[in-house]
Amino acid sequence: MTAQPPVDTPLWPLVLYCAIVMILAAFIVILSAFLGQRHRERTTNEPYESGIAPTGSARIRFDIKFYLSAMFFVLFDLEAVFIFAWADAARPLGWTGYIEILIFIAVLLLALFYLWRVGALDWRVEKHRRSKRQVTKVN
Amino acid sequence: MHRPDFIALAPLLILALSAAAVMLAIALRRNHLSAMGLSLTGLGAALTALPLMARYTPRTVTPLLIMDHFALFYTGLILAATAVVIVLSYDYFSQKDDLPEEAYLLLLLAALGAVILVCARHVAALFLGLEILSVSLYALIAYTRDRNISIEAGIKYLVLAAVSAAFLLFGAALIYAHTGALDFQQLGALLKAEPSGRPALILLAGLGFLVVAVGFKLALTPFHMWTPDIYQGAPAPVTAFVATVSKGAMAALLVRLFTPTDLPHWPALYLFFTAMAAASMAAGNLLALLQTNVKRLLAYSSIAHMGYLLAALLFSGQKAAVVMTFYLTVYVVSILGCFGIIAILSSKERDADTCQDLQGLFFRRPLLTGVFTTMLLSLAGIPLTAGFIGKFYVVSAGVENAHWFLVIILVVFSGVGLFYYLRVIIAMFSPSLDEGLVPSPALPALSAPVVLTLTFLSTLVLWLGVWPSWFLATLEKMLG
Repeated sequence: MTAQPPVDTPLWPLVLYCAIVMILAAFIVILSAFLGQRHRERTTNEPYESGIAPTGSARIRFDIKFYLSAMFFVLFDLEAVFIFAWADAARPLGWTGYIEILIFIAVLLLALFYLWRVGALDWRVEKHRRSKRQVTKVN
Repeated sequence: MHRPDFIALAPLLILALSAAAVMLAIALRRNHLSAMGLSLTGLGAALTALPLMARYTPRTVTPLLIMDHFALFYTGLILAATAVVIVLSYDYFSQKDDLPEEAYLLLLLAALGAVILVCARHVAALFLGLEILSVSLYALIAYTRDRNISIEAGIKYLVLAAVSAAFLLFGAALIYAHTGALDFQQLGALLKAEPSGRPALILLAGLGFLVVAVGFKLALTPFHMWTPDIYQGAPAPVTAFVATVSKGAMAALLVRLFTPTDLPHWPALYLFFTAMAAASMAAGNLLALLQTNVKRLLAYSSIAHMGYLLAALLFSGQKAAVVMTFYLTVYVVSILGCFGIIAILSSKERDADTCQDLQGLFFRRPLLTGVFTTMLLSLAGIPLTAGFIGKFYVVSAGVENAHWFLVIILVVFSGVGLFYYLRVIIAMFSPSLDEGLVPSPALPALSAPVVLTLTFLSTLVLWLGVWPSWFLATLEKMLG
């Protein structure tokens, strides 16, 4: 690649611009600190949500299944991107490309089979699974 | 792609296939022994493919990979080391009743990434190999997920390796912006053609970022912080894998990347490398003095060893490949032995990684103690072990090319390093502190494959230490 031609755009407008931004931001913050009112009542520090009082903590434990399904979605979605990229160039890539995408899809199917078999796609919790197994045993 | 291309790629194809086969086997029927057997079969097949493909080397397969003698040797080393790790993993993971099979799948994939790294002749292949290796390692390091320390290590490695991959990509982008090349050979030629006095800043920055990424994987000193935590947290066989395969592949890549560029031509980069090597030797050896945990101790010792290895790269110019490969082979064998012993002694709950665990080991397990002592002496560089020959070779290359600064640092800190290796050995040979008071922890029975592997490793260390000429001649013929 050839070297870029020397650029002689002056740098000082950028510096000035940055300085003005900084000064303006500082000015706004400092001014409101001087002029603003100060409250220290019972509910001052509570989060405001359209007048409804917040309840409980936001840190709830979610079921791992949510993460799993999100992750599978991202994985298979990304892999679909590869297939789209191949499809766009299918003709110039010819048979070689076709065979390669077949291998790719085969590996994906294998992975899906693996996920199915290890129970990663099973939405039930462990307790349900066990109870079903017992039911089938009794039968 | 023609038939010779496929034969040249055979080890990679076989590795990928066997990883898929192990996954299928796990999906169909979960069985620890069959997963291990299948993985070992795959590795064996890939190893036997090596002599077959030797006829077709050197050969550039696609613009990304090159199969030359260098790649051939390192592929062999990686496959053999992975096989040893798998043998060690079997006993280690069979104590735990918690899904051990996927470890082999991940180990095979990581080995695939490492093989891609040593065959890379293009930054894209470097990135691909690095990512396959790293992503498998994230899961492997956190594999014993009932231990908090493993999960912590896994997350630390995930964050840091992702950051270093970002450095690598940005560095490659900068280099590409300036030179328009991502091919190592082409890149080397272009870098040689740069005016040596004042290289373009953008190029220097790009190379610097690339070195940061490589330095992170090798745990060279400013980028070494992750090593002790990850070594300690990862299950012992995985630690052995991180210390040998992952670092070995990266060191091979370093040789490939910087042999065509003619390092002394770039004073800034050369200085940076020298500083990293010296700092790694100093920091690794000094920090190891304070450790009581054997895994952490070996982590710091491996930082020092990577410093020696980098020094070898700087010392020997054209001969760098031979010197570094010899040193690295010896290091891989010794480290595999050390972590192998730790893996054998480990229990279901925790790894046997403190000095108390090893106290009086000689009276309970003389064979293991003998092997461990040999490996530690080899790491320390005591004569009659392979480590001595490796270090001697590095130092003599340094003296030949009059790199006095690094040679002096190397010699002084090797002396310092002797102290902590000997401390572990002394712990093993001194009587147990709690003799008769507390029943000593029950030792798991040794299985035949593990004993064979360890015997093989220690024989190798002694053999290379007493009679290295055959191996050296082979290396010179292959890589010289």
